[in-house]
Amino acid sequence: MEMELKVNQDNCLGCGVCVVACPVNASISNEVAGGHGSKTTETIMMVENGFIKLFSPEKCTKCGTCQLFCPTDAIWLE
Amino acid sequence: MPKHIVSGLKYLTAVELIREGYSQKEVAKILEMDRSTVSHYLNGRNLSWNSIEIAKKITEVCPKDFLILAYALMQDKARIVVKTCSVRDYKGIIKESCIGCGLCADICLMKAIVLNDLKAQIDSDWCCGCLICGESCPTNSIEILEVKNDF
Amino acid sequence: MISNTKEVKALDFEISRSAEEKRELLYKDDICIGCGICEKTCPVDAIELGSIGAIVRTGADVPKIVCDEDKCVLCGMCSVVCPVDALEFKIDDESIKDMDEYPQLINSAEINDDTCIYCKACETACPRDSITIARDLPDRSKLVTGEIEIDKETCIDCGICEEMCPADAITMEHKLPTPDDPTVSSDIIVDKDKCVYCLICKKSCPVSAIKAACRTCSYGEYDLNPEDYKTTGSSFIDHETCVKCGWCQEICPVDAATVVKTFDGELSIDQDTCQACGACVDICPCNVLSFPESIKAGKRPEKVMSDENYCIYCGACESVCPVKAIDVKRTGIKHTPTKSKSWEKQIESLKT
Repeated sequence: MEMELKVNQDNCLGCGVCVVACPVNASISNEVAGGHGSKTTETIMMVENGFIKLFSPEKCTKCGTCQLFCPTDAIWLE
Repeated sequence: MPKHIVSGLKYLTAVELIREGYSQKEVAKILEMDRSTVSHYLNGRNLSWNSIEIAKKITEVCPKDFLILAYALMQDKARIVVKTCSVRDYKGIIKESCIGCGLCADICLMKAIVLNDLKAQIDSDWCCGCLICGESCPTNSIEILEVKNDF
Repeated sequence: MISNTKEVKALDFEISRSAEEKRELLYKDDICIGCGICEKTCPVDAIELGSIGAIVRTGADVPKIVCDEDKCVLCGMCSVVCPVDALEFKIDDESIKDMDEYPQLINSAEINDDTCIYCKACETACPRDSITIARDLPDRSKLVTGEIEIDKETCIDCGICEEMCPADAITMEHKLPTPDDPTVSSDIIVDKDKCVYCLICKKSCPVSAIKAACRTCSYGEYDLNPEDYKTTGSSFIDHETCVKCGWCQEICPVDAATVVKTFDGELSIDQDTCQACGACVDICPCNVLSFPESIKAGKRPEKVMSDENYCIYCGACESVCPVKAIDVKRTGIKHTPTKSKSWEKQIESLKT
């Protein structure tokens, strides 16, 4: 049963921890891994205007790292 | 009408079994009938030629239809009728891709298939060539060959 | 027509088919390690491995595998290749593990009770909590002998000996004094089964009311029976959950544990690709993987460490890694023989 990556912008603090923690993001963009924020929308998720937004959720491998790091349960797998 | 067809099929079976050398007593036991009924059948009594004619036609339809029809009419007793009246002989070949799931053995109305060392085995004596097993096989491992046709 | 029935209980399932014989496949999610070997082996692609990373790490209420009962033909192959007993297959209520015609993976874990000294190192090390060591310690009173006596006339009920005794062998019956019995204790008792004749009470008594002597100290070990100081016990391995990883064998100080693994193989981690997310560390059923502790500020150790001694080459880490940094190779597989070519082929296909 494949799970799906979900976000709830109402809970999101826009801290970007998930963006940085995501191992797939890190392998796509060194800038993201370094916490600088990327200009690319190639990554799975990015903070945009202060909220998390999914750009390429199809790249998610469902490892659950983002969910482990998110302080407000704004991103999760279901 | 179905009752008459059953009688017709039993008649054909009884005649064939006697021809194969079984005694009337044995035939009665195999077909689970009274010995007197068998005797009547063989003397051509208690049965319309019409029923026999229809039964004969049924034995000549394609093996799957014959089996399904016979099974619908007389359930497990259909096995001996189909085996005896079938005009063709078959041989089942199981390929090495067989995984021994037993689906064919479960599905075979003739109970012609057993599993041996995780491989299905088809008893040619009982195989009626209906091909139902092959349709159910998940690995396409069953091949049924027609080896004799008296039709 | 003949079809399968499926019963789902929480995260577990049972698929069965009853006709000529009754075939049943039973799945226990709490035992499943999420390795996906069943998915790879299933000849009809009925099994699908879930998003095990998320399931294991976030505690999602989702089964690790799902089996499509319309595709499953109940052949039992998944049960045979499962490295644990998460998938059980029965024909007419008999497990196929007890049937000679079905091949079995060869693996074992045993603790030899004749050699075992019941130190419990294996119990602590076992990553699956599959080992239980029950031990009976020797009787303390049999290991030291001596004599002790408290002169109750001299004793002033101060309780110092009671407080000092390291073996809790001295008990005083404390009480409030009354006009007819103006004392603070009604009695003082020495439990000779607990006393180790260390003489601390004697040395600390302010009024020298205690007479005690240790026989072992004065005369050596003349009166000790070897049977008396032996720890006895028994070991138990739960083979349903045991993954035969080899931790018990490696950690045992007296070589009492023997583990035979099914797969030979090789585990490699590409440290450049690894993003240190920890998914592999969390999923590994054998505690093979860990994050190294920093050696020195400013020095970066490897991202993920592995010790292949404990690896069973199940491949769970490889399938969970989000960036494909892990490669698990299976080069050998031990199993009992089978006459079925298709089973042989399917089992051998687990080699990579």
